[in-house]
Amino acid sequence: MTDDDNRETTRRAVLTAAATTAAGSAGCLSVSTPADIAATTEIEGNVGYFVGSPWLADHRDSVVALDARPRRLFREERVYGARHVPLDEISAQADTAAGLIPDTDAIAETFAGLGVGHDDDVIVYGDSVGSRVTRTVFALQALGHRGEIQVLNGGFEAWTGRVGTGGKRSVSAAEYEPQRRSELWVTREWLADRVGTFNESGPGLVDVRVPEAYLGATGSDALDPAHDRHGHLPGATGVHWLGNVAGRRIDEPGGLFELYTGDAGLDPERTVVVYGDENVNPTQTWVTLRAIGFDDVRLYDGGFEEWANVADDRGRYPVETKTNAVVETEGGTGGTDGGDFSCTG
Amino acid sequence: MSNGRDEVTVDQPIVAVCCDDAATLALYDLGSGDNLGTVPIGSHPVHATLVDGRVFVATMGERSVSVVDPDGTVSRVETGVLGPSHFAYAAGHLFVPCTAGDVVAVIDPDTRELVTRVSVGAEPHDVVAHKERVYVGSRSEGVVSVIDASACEHRADIDVGANARVQGVEVHPATGRGFAVDQRSARVVSFSLDADPGVLGEATVGSDPYDLFVRDDHIYVPGRGAGTVHRLDTALNPEMVNEAFTTPMQVVPHDHREWVVDRGTDSLASVDGAETTLPVPGFKGLSTDEGILLSHYDERLVSFVDPNTGVVWSEPTPANPFGLLVI
Repeated sequence: MTDDDNRETTRRAVLTAAATTAAGSAGCLSVSTPADIAATTEIEGNVGYFVGSPWLADHRDSVVALDARPRRLFREERVYGARHVPLDEISAQADTAAGLIPDTDAIAETFAGLGVGHDDDVIVYGDSVGSRVTRTVFALQALGHRGEIQVLNGGFEAWTGRVGTGGKRSVSAAEYEPQRRSELWVTREWLADRVGTFNESGPGLVDVRVPEAYLGATGSDALDPAHDRHGHLPGATGVHWLGNVAGRRIDEPGGLFELYTGDAGLDPERTVVVYGDENVNPTQTWVTLRAIGFDDVRLYDGGFEEWANVADDRGRYPVETKTNAVVETEGGTGGTDGGDFSCTG
Repeated sequence: MSNGRDEVTVDQPIVAVCCDDAATLALYDLGSGDNLGTVPIGSHPVHATLVDGRVFVATMGERSVSVVDPDGTVSRVETGVLGPSHFAYAAGHLFVPCTAGDVVAVIDPDTRELVTRVSVGAEPHDVVAHKERVYVGSRSEGVVSVIDASACEHRADIDVGANARVQGVEVHPATGRGFAVDQRSARVVSFSLDADPGVLGEATVGSDPYDLFVRDDHIYVPGRGAGTVHRLDTALNPEMVNEAFTTPMQVVPHDHREWVVDRGTDSLASVDGAETTLPVPGFKGLSTDEGILLSHYDERLVSFVDPNTGVVWSEPTPANPFGLLVI
């Protein structure tokens, strides 16, 4: 038995004890017990990817747990037996003539190093259900992963089972031969060929950044100084990705479906592209849309950073700063410029 | 035609009025004011121009320009970027700033196809052509972008001030100078039209300036907030300031006078003091051989005025009238 093993404990047992202690007064004090929290992570209905803590408890022995949190948190405490996913490695990009795309060879090598095989069923968890988790999901899907891919709704906080701690345990590397699924992402040139059609005759397009970045609001802290230009791709609808998340859980699926099909006007049966500044945050919307039934969701992996800084022929890659297509979620508008414009000044 | 802006020689005197909120072009007989009907076009039409008998309409709420053929057929030319606002014609092409973006769309008026998009300063608005060059003012980046009209390529950005919000742009070919109105700082800036353009000078004008007008050797700049019209020489030395206006929008030439369209007053007054009464305040004006056409945006009217004798006719419009064109 190693020192790490000695530090491992049964978190479920500790939490159960705490729940028992609190249970006597829970009713009158409205205290939520760990069991209550775990129960709230369960997802009902036809929603993909997301499962609750009880599901994981029942399937822990048959799935590989992938911890998408920062390494520091992984070392402190984790689902017992989980393997840490390095975000930078699974966000690797390859530069092509058409623009930046996921570097599937490099990403496959990372998962192979984690001992994840092509057919393994996996569950990914993080602090919540944010973009570190969803980037991991996207990365696996991009490789053509054949096993089931699930996300722990509620994040690590919801886990009531056995936990591990300390440095990573050695695992045997697996073979991972990627079967690249290029239909899950789009390139800069794919988008440039369709400028003027988004959310009209062409594909849906969602900008997942905060409204200030979407609008290129002058003076806003949300503007990345490394970008030559600010604003959004022509015709994109702005829906801040944080609106998908309620605390540590995915927001109520029915409400999300109404948000995207009603307020944002997207058609779940048509192609929808999502993008952000980079290739991590937009994967939250990528996963959410797929989870609530959108058939064909694609990620612009190069993101606005690539689009805004393209060196030549910027007329082919235009940026808009004005629109009325911001769907309000958790984000608020700011900066000094609104989205309205006119010819009267 | 001169950019479809201020002076038009008419063969068939039909007035086309861009009706902003109704997404239509309303047509009137210039002589009688008889309503000849409407043509449904794209969202938020603001300005129109005429090329070889076809009317091109900047539909600011679209990512396209509407085209009306002489037989009334309407088609669209996709710009790909929101907010087509104005037109300039040069080297056989129409140049259309897309105000909600950072490009000028280049359209072949014969084929009615998008030729290309040229990257310019963000939120381009007014545009003017001179010889083989097109000058476009940016509302958010403080530049006037210069485009080679034949090559359809961006050539330079003239820096007119980091915080400048460039609205009107004009040229004075005789002196080789261009002029840009900076709405934010209430300035007019002159720049060289040379191959290596640069800023030559600047002058303060009345607050909230939006448009400017160049005639002979004078520059006229209405200050909407100040209620003034500044007249300057081409070196931007002040010549006079007329403070008699309320919300002067535009200076329109007719005969030998410069008439001021004032959104705050029921009259049309000239810079040198002549005046004629209007039914309601004006918004945009267009000079013709016989008089001045006026759109009354706030009251949904269009009028034809002989500045010497008064209103010839005045008719309601389907929605807020904006730019005017005589076909």
